[in-house]
Amino acid sequence: MRISEARIKVALVLALLVAAQYVLRPRLGDSRFAPDFVLIALLFFAIRVRPMGGTIAGFLVGVVTDAVAPTAFGAAALALTVVGYAAGWLKAVVFADNLLVTAVFVFAASWVRDGIEVLAAHQLEGGALAWQLLAFSPLAALSTAAAAAVMLVLFRGWLRQHPA
Amino acid sequence: MALDSDRYASRADTAVLGACLVLSLVALALPAGLREPVAGALRRTVLLPVLALQRATVQAAEARVRLALVRAERDSLVLETTFLPELRAENLRLRDLLGLAGRLGHGFVTAEVLHQAGVADATTLLLSAGRDASVEPFAPVLGARGLLGVVRDVDAHSSVALAWTHPDFRASAMVEGMAIYGIVRSRRGEISGEVMELVGVPYREQLLPGTRVVTSGLGGVFPRGIPLGTVQGVLSEASGWERTYLLRPAVHPSEAAHVIVLQPARAQDTLAAAFDTARPGTDSLVLLRDSAGMRVLTVPPRGRGARPAPGERP
Repeated sequence: MRISEARIKVALVLALLVAAQYVLRPRLGDSRFAPDFVLIALLFFAIRVRPMGGTIAGFLVGVVTDAVAPTAFGAAALALTVVGYAAGWLKAVVFADNLLVTAVFVFAASWVRDGIEVLAAHQLEGGALAWQLLAFSPLAALSTAAAAAVMLVLFRGWLRQHPA
Repeated sequence: MALDSDRYASRADTAVLGACLVLSLVALALPAGLREPVAGALRRTVLLPVLALQRATVQAAEARVRLALVRAERDSLVLETTFLPELRAENLRLRDLLGLAGRLGHGFVTAEVLHQAGVADATTLLLSAGRDASVEPFAPVLGARGLLGVVRDVDAHSSVALAWTHPDFRASAMVEGMAIYGIVRSRRGEISGEVMELVGVPYREQLLPGTRVVTSGLGGVFPRGIPLGTVQGVLSEASGWERTYLLRPAVHPSEAAHVIVLQPARAQDTLAAAFDTARPGTDSLVLLRDSAGMRVLTVPPRGRGARPAPGERP
């Protein structure tokens, strides 16, 4: 009974994050640096399920993300599949109610996702690629990590992981 | 999928990972002809509610920001409308005498740019207008200060535009007011996606920094006279043949919140008058003053000669 209630609460937080992606994110200025709420939702989900669940969720979220940027169709799916699997695999290391660890985890996941996506999309080269990977992506990862930390502070009770 | 289940990956987990990776790679390798139908189907189904939500959000935010401006403009319009009939008659007479074409009073739709997450989408724009608003493939997409790109794919309620930052983007260009032609594309390499380059300029023609470059109208996609950028300097030259110039773009895709999508009927028009490029320092679309029904992106400074009356379509 307790687990069911926890699941509902986590589902509500995930739905809130998805809504924030489309309601809040457009108001946060330049999309290159805005936090990626869907990635946070994916990570919060993936660390609560088996790697298989994180992988499938990452792939599906990636395909949907790719649908709005069809020139690199498949790049986000590839990146989020890897990130979803890794998050599911690393869940023993990452504690959802540890603020610092979660922020670092989200930062790393966001940067890795960007790296894989940019390289797979093959749209940038030379200095532009370096700028993206070494400047824009870390800044976006930073804002995403900050948003994840805020979510964790706001919903700490709801996101606490219960023992199986 | 139970919460807090196994710690390590099982064979099934690894198999699913492999399957998803293969599917992703297959998606990446899909030809453009197959990619777009899949992406379009997703936009029309799974993404439809969230895109509608985002469109409403953007419009609501825009409405709040513009409310004060719209009120001020409404008051000005009411005042200026008083002189409308005589101005219209005078304008018609003058245009007839000068043999000028009409301004951009029809043949366009406005759309919101729905920015999306992702690092690979800086070269495409998702627009909130689609087939229902008569948007068609290859329609030029304009920002407040110049050309943003061209529509590539059109859905029922949205469309995808190729921004000028895309590696495949090309526009036939000319130096404003001179018969010097070239091709404009985004600069690849050092500062890719942030600046343009004008290639194929005859060697005998030297362009000074600050020279404006506009669309030439050749090719039948972009009307003549849409600002593309300003010459910054020479990038390279093939001695005796041609020069390549670096351009500062008139407008960058990341700045765009609202755009104008021209309809094919306007492809043969000349839009130089619409952008008012003849007057240096002008930073707003005159075409936005053409229609009282359109959102005004920037307020043109007063005192620069005769302003057309609001709502006037001379």
